[in-house]
Amino acid sequence: MTSKISIRGVSKTYNSDAGEVAALQGTDLEIRQGEFVSLVGPSGCGKSTLLYIVGGFLASQGEVRIDGKRVDGPGVDRGIVFQEYALFPWLTVRRNILYGPRVRHLPAAQCNAIADRLIDVIGLRGFEHRYPRELSGGMKQRVAIARMLAGDPAILLLDEPFGALDAQTRETMQDELLRIFLTMRKTVLMVTHDVNEAVYLSNRICVMSARPGRIVEEFAVNLDRSGTREAIVLSDEYNRVRNQVWLSVRRQVAPAATRA
Amino acid sequence: MSDAAGERTNRLRGHALSILSVGVILIAWEAAARAKLVPDLFLPSVSAVLIALRDGIADGSLPLDLGVSLYRAFAGLLLASFVGVAAGIAMARSTLIRWFLDPFVGLAFPAPKIAFLPIFILWFGIDHLSKIMLVAFSSVFPIIIATYSAAISVNPLLIWSSLSLGSSRPMIMWRVILPACYPRIFAAFRVAVPVALITAFTAEMVAGGGGMGATLMYAQRFFDSPTVFAYIVTMLAVGLAFDKAMLALRDRFPSWRESS
Amino acid sequence: MLRSIAGATMRLLPIAIVLAIWQAAASLRLVDTAFLPAPAGVARALGDLLSGHEIRDNLLVTLFRALAGLVLATVSGVWFGIGMARSWVFNAIVSPLVGATYSLPKTAIVPLLILWFGIGSTMGILAVYLTCLLPIIVQTYHGVRATPAVVIWSAQSMGAGPRKMLWQVFLPHALPDIFTGLRIALGFALVVAISAEMIASTSGIGRLIFMYGESGAYDYMFAAVASVVIAAFLIDRALLRLSARCLRWHESQAVADIGAAV
Repeated sequence: MTSKISIRGVSKTYNSDAGEVAALQGTDLEIRQGEFVSLVGPSGCGKSTLLYIVGGFLASQGEVRIDGKRVDGPGVDRGIVFQEYALFPWLTVRRNILYGPRVRHLPAAQCNAIADRLIDVIGLRGFEHRYPRELSGGMKQRVAIARMLAGDPAILLLDEPFGALDAQTRETMQDELLRIFLTMRKTVLMVTHDVNEAVYLSNRICVMSARPGRIVEEFAVNLDRSGTREAIVLSDEYNRVRNQVWLSVRRQVAPAATRA
Repeated sequence: MSDAAGERTNRLRGHALSILSVGVILIAWEAAARAKLVPDLFLPSVSAVLIALRDGIADGSLPLDLGVSLYRAFAGLLLASFVGVAAGIAMARSTLIRWFLDPFVGLAFPAPKIAFLPIFILWFGIDHLSKIMLVAFSSVFPIIIATYSAAISVNPLLIWSSLSLGSSRPMIMWRVILPACYPRIFAAFRVAVPVALITAFTAEMVAGGGGMGATLMYAQRFFDSPTVFAYIVTMLAVGLAFDKAMLALRDRFPSWRESS
Repeated sequence: MLRSIAGATMRLLPIAIVLAIWQAAASLRLVDTAFLPAPAGVARALGDLLSGHEIRDNLLVTLFRALAGLVLATVSGVWFGIGMARSWVFNAIVSPLVGATYSLPKTAIVPLLILWFGIGSTMGILAVYLTCLLPIIVQTYHGVRATPAVVIWSAQSMGAGPRKMLWQVFLPHALPDIFTGLRIALGFALVVAISAEMIASTSGIGRLIFMYGESGAYDYMFAAVASVVIAAFLIDRALLRLSARCLRWHESQAVADIGAAV
């Protein structure tokens, strides 16, 4: 079966004033339809860079294929959510969400249906005509997710989506994301520095080395996510995987620490 | 797709292209003038302009005019500085003064000060004083506003710690408040110097009485376009020189730099 | 409503006080009314002229020139600014020219324009146009350059092509900066329009002020100057109102909401 996302030999170097800086080296990864894959690793290892390359925002060596076709730029098949929300400040919540559909000239009735549904999904009814400056961080991130979903992309790219939120809001948002993922059957590639979050949400975790990054270890996560958050987080399986992943990431961080 | 690597090479290519662009324009200008594509009156050749410049410097008329204009501009600026800084600080320290001066500053700020030239000529005559007063009137408002806004935002902690260390009130004024205002006052000067120069030149163009502006108009009336161009180029060079000088000054005194 | 009237009165009180002192000084012959006409006389002159069309017509001519030049400069300035921000080639070619005008005293081009176009509205509008281009270009350029990559990428991932990016992402993002440039350019526009008229013109309020000065009608001269100051103030206020409306969504408005009355 062809992978949904196929990453082969992808590496990236930047030209800075100090010479060439390698951000990523020879990375390979195959992701199947319906998988939720998390990229974890030390700061600066290039996990966000890899995500941006898959999104088509950065050029690179090697190749990335989506459903067998080469990626040469951004596309509506890959939705993205950033840590900084990246909402359009000049548009209301509703118009932000409907940006994608409007760009593609969907009929008004369909647009309205999409907006109404998603605004309810993210629980922001009553705020649709507010501007982003009037919203809290958690609300902005919800709008960003709704905006991504409005375009109905097959692939969701998430770059530390909950990094800027406080702990409580983060947990709420993780549960919502999980719910959305389980009901919508999307393929997800998420970058996070929070190992707990990665284990909670994904069914596959890739650990990256320090810069220049490449994938050094992979973990399969088979959790029964039908229960409550308490049931999941307190389960033996969760904690077993969590400890393994954490140790793996720590090993990527520690060598650098001892070198310094 | 934006890339740091591409950006840096582009910057170097950009500088080369800029120099090329200026070169091309100068060459095209000279060629068009020589080939008499445009009447001499409208576009004197670059060489004619340079000759006019050389003659003006040689017989002392250009330096004299420049000296007169600069004298007026900087005398006015000096006056504006004293009045402006004093008023700005007074407004910051006394709500009564602030209330009193506020409508005048607000009314004067958007007003085209050049409209007051005939009034100043009525009061101060056609020679230096009316122009100096107009320059002062034009440049005082940015200085007042900058000083005021800087003075009210002086960190109270700075003032309190000086007080507790035994400084007297006047000392605090000179040693704490004033220095804290330097960056914003300096930024206002970067605006006020060009304003002073423009006002001096314009007043001379309108009312005569010697100086760069007066000679410029004189040359225009006698259709002496090489001199017109030469004087404009000189004004341009003077403006550029002063701005560069101010930047160099700011680099020399880091305390004047705005801390962001 | 009542509170804002009271507020406005309080703010204008200092002006009223100065006018009162001025009038008293004039009435008591403390100042020579030849040099400083009494406000009463000036007000009478202003009234005469407003009903008699002269100030009004000339003021309108000047405002027409200033605003026409400003509008043309805004349209082309925004275009140039966006072009320079998006294409390093365009930027490299155009920016030395733009940079040159930065240091040039703006009214210095008036004699040159008189040589080329004679005196009159064309010259005036052109002078305003060339002067106002710079702040608009600079501000537009900064506004567009500052568009965060994540915002650009979000739009692209939702299917926005280059055209849509221009109108729906870069332009709105640069709008606050453009309005700042507009406010600066407005000041320049009035100064250059009036300067050009004073230097050489047969119409406009600048010309009128000078004419009154030369013929000794100082009442009228002061009245004409006052009309310019008031007109400039009102137009500036209108611009602030306009930008507040267009920039409702901007963070700065949150502060403005608290600060209330403008």
